[in-house]
Formats: sequence, structure tokens, C-alpha cells
Amino acid sequence: MKNRVKITRVMLNMTQGELARQVGVTRQTIGLVEKGEYNPTLQLCVAIAEALNKTLDDLFWEVGKE
Amino acid sequence: MKTWISFLLPDDEYKERSILYFYAEGAILLVIFLLLTIIFSNFIAVDYQLIILIALGIFGLYVVIRYSLSGMEYTEVNSEQAFKKELKLLTTKTTSFTIIFLLLYILLVEYPTRFQDLYDLVGLLCSVALVWFMIGFISLKSSYQKNKKLTD
Repeated sequence: MKNRVKITRVMLNMTQGELARQVGVTRQTIGLVEKGEYNPTLQLCVAIAEALNKTLDDLFWEVGKE
Repeated sequence: MKTWISFLLPDDEYKERSILYFYAEGAILLVIFLLLTIIFSNFIAVDYQLIILIALGIFGLYVVIRYSLSGMEYTEVNSEQAFKKELKLLTTKTTSFTIIFLLLYILLVEYPTRFQDLYDLVGLLCSVALVWFMIGFISLKSSYQKNKKLTD
């Protein structure tokens, strides 16, 4: 699943490790989510959105699929 | 989801989901093996103790090999330095296990009086240690390669 987690995280000057610690998963899981190689549960999506101070739409909604 | 198998699963959701798949795949292979055993037991004599050991081996080995190759064991190893550190730790653990097991065996179970007994014990122990180290090394290498691709 394509998403804007990486670009948002980089804009906030946050490392993968910091985001991982905040949402309670491993750095590898964050890397997989960012690359679109793992589809996170809704619970993890919400945790990531909260940690990055964004909405689910901001991070996970694909423009043009509406 | 509430399930009694939770105690066998890690907290990280990606690892949890992947390991559940490995268990499920291993269980299906186990069922196939047992069905084939039932069919062939009509034609050939079957040693059931051996069949049970093979069945357990199929499940256990499958899960361990899939887990090791998946590269999810060492989630934080993404640099050459971290790789070398973990490799050193793995070597230390394997060596410690071999020495402690050998000492405990000699002290608590049996002191090998013949050279052949000592040779058998050391040979078996070295083989187990080598397999353990190889599985650990494959897992570490897979994890390192996977993490390198995922790290920004």
C-alpha cells in the first residue's frame, strides 16, 4: 500500500527508530510500512498518524482513487 | 483477537502476523505428512515412534527455517558495525553453550571413560553447535540485508 509516512516523518526530522519507539513496533516494521511492503492494521495506522500528528487521510489515502 | 497462542507470539504486529503464517504453513505440511503416513501404512510396516519424531521435526524445522530466512529476528541490525557486534555475540553464545553443556554432561550424567565415548560426545556436541551457529548466522545475515534495504 502506497503511503506518505516516510515523507512526513522526514519532514518532522524524525528517524525510523524514534517513530518505531513511539508507536511500539520495530524499526523494521516502520521500514516495511514506508516501502509499502507491509499493510499495517488500522490500530497501527492510527498510532503512526498520531505520532506524526497527521490524519489517516494525510498518510494513507491515495489521491486519484476516490 | 484473544487467543491462547499469544504467549508464543511477539508484540510487534508484523512479526506476529508472519510467525502465525509460519505456524499455519507448518501445520498444513504436518497434516499432509500424517495423511500420507496413514495411506502408506496400509502397504508398509510403520514405526510409529519414528513417524512421530519425523512429524515433530517437519513442523519444528519448517518454522525455524522460515523464521531464519525471513530476516525478522534481528530487527535493529542495519549497519556493518551492528552486524559484527551481533556476530560476535552469536559466536560467544554458541561457544558458551558448547562448553557449559559438555561440563554439565560430564559432571551430572556420565564421565566418558573410553576415548570413543568422549569422541562421540564431543562430535555430537560440535555438530549441534555448528547447526545452531549456522541457523543463527543465516538469520543474522538475512536480517542485515533486509534492514539495509529498509533503512533510509
